[in-house]
Amino acid sequence: MNAKNKMTQSQKMMVFVLTMSLYGLATLFTELIPSFQVGIVEFSVEYFLFIPLTLAMLFDPLSAALGAATGELVFSEIMLGQFGGLGELEKFLTVTIGVYIAGRIVKDPRNRKVVAAASIIGVAVQQFMGCVVDILKVQFAVEDFEAVAGLPESVFFTEGFACLNDILFSGILFCMLPTMYLAPRLYGKIEPLLGVKPRDKDTMIAGDYVLTPKMVGMVLIGFAAAIASELLASGGYELIDWEAAWAGNTTSIIIGIIVAAIIALIVIGMIRGRAVKNAETKQA
Amino acid sequence: MHKLTESILDKFSMDYLRNQVLKNAYGNDDTVIAGLDPRVLLVWYLFFGLVPWFLNDLVILLGLFIFVALTTRAAKIAPLVLFLFCLGVFSQTGYLLIAALFFGGDASTVAPLLVMTLKVAVVSLASITVFSGLDPDRLANGMLWFGCPDQLSFSISFAYRILPVLMEEFQNILLSYRLRGNPPAKKTFPGKIRYLFYQIKLIIQAFYPLMLNTAKRSRTTVEALEIKGYRYALKNPTVKKMKLAMLKVTRNDGIFAAVSIVWTVLCVLVSAVSPL
Repeated sequence: MNAKNKMTQSQKMMVFVLTMSLYGLATLFTELIPSFQVGIVEFSVEYFLFIPLTLAMLFDPLSAALGAATGELVFSEIMLGQFGGLGELEKFLTVTIGVYIAGRIVKDPRNRKVVAAASIIGVAVQQFMGCVVDILKVQFAVEDFEAVAGLPESVFFTEGFACLNDILFSGILFCMLPTMYLAPRLYGKIEPLLGVKPRDKDTMIAGDYVLTPKMVGMVLIGFAAAIASELLASGGYELIDWEAAWAGNTTSIIIGIIVAAIIALIVIGMIRGRAVKNAETKQA
Repeated sequence: MHKLTESILDKFSMDYLRNQVLKNAYGNDDTVIAGLDPRVLLVWYLFFGLVPWFLNDLVILLGLFIFVALTTRAAKIAPLVLFLFCLGVFSQTGYLLIAALFFGGDASTVAPLLVMTLKVAVVSLASITVFSGLDPDRLANGMLWFGCPDQLSFSISFAYRILPVLMEEFQNILLSYRLRGNPPAKKTFPGKIRYLFYQIKLIIQAFYPLMLNTAKRSRTTVEALEIKGYRYALKNPTVKKMKLAMLKVTRNDGIFAAVSIVWTVLCVLVSAVSPL
């Protein structure tokens, strides 16, 4: 591979900054646009995923994907104070994976059919993972999930429908069509602004990463399998029963809180210790 | 439908949005929460952001909820953020309640959902206190201290600075599109739907010039960073130490931590005596 065709580190940084600011801005809007509901079905402008999708097809997919996820985290979550802690990790990962996969599929951004297919695949992957995690979340958060009348059906129904609705409604309207419009139009125009060659067979990122599409596929299958097994396991609700048994009395709660606090302190100490050690080794 | 397009347009009044975001970021430097050490607050958040998920006791959760509501009050959060918080809590669990009733649930459905709503509320309010109450630069420094990736702390500081510029530019592009465009008539119902789609199309099209402009700008940004030796500084521990020298734990931090601990213990004790 010609060194000229590779993106330099700072160009990747440019892609990161570009995607982060644009997608961040867009998610900030979607956070504020009211969604309208027809019954329990929510039709919302779910997100402007077409921005990172387009950029991932034109530039380095990994930088664009990470930029998009970071942008969403920083602009719409941290800036508006909606940071949900660990819950954001799921969104971060699913957005990254979805955008990255879509970006890797496209070899020539001028080919509208491939662009359309790639964007809808990216959205579907992202939405599906989000949906599965959502269902699991409700199952773990609500004690005696099964015992509450009507709850399991309603969760499966609303989540499943929301997922399908997001893929078909937001996916086609706000991801596929805009990406089909933007990616070929921007091709050859936006790249020179960053000093990058337009993507073609020579400049196609290859051998640059340890991650190949095949490996990403494997990771995904692994992810799906893990979730499937998790679902099967919690079908018997063993985990929840176990949890409910000890969470019942107050002493265990106090012990739990103390243990949690101690674990938190230990983890922080470890993180800090590692950071200092890293700094020292770098200095040496 | 008309109301909907109207309200979308209202929300796109950029000045309002920009003011709210900036006010939220830099407008509350003088509060008690903003004066605390970001590291202490992050540890505090780790506790209040995680522990509620594992609690099922209504009394303890209520106690924690009152406490984080008080800290949110102390942090003087912008009203827009609080409104979004209420909306978020409802969309997380409120609709589930309606759906559960629809599928034949009754009053017994309410109790577990109330617990879940409280969990979500405590966690969100704790995060609002920490992430909105703190000045973004201090927050970024606090995260850097814990060894978070430098990209993240860079992104936070950068986002607050670039957002007003980006919003203004987006507004200008949108206005110029609107000036040149010919919106469909919106008297009839299909016309209103067409009008809504026209607005959405306009917003999407506006991203085309915005992408090109932002590409130019991000190149300038990165090149300016390179000139200042940004990537070298990232890896250099001495630079990091200088950057983090401003962080100091004061007596106020001690008081804050002590109050939090005492309150939590009290909640647990009250729940032990109460019959609930």
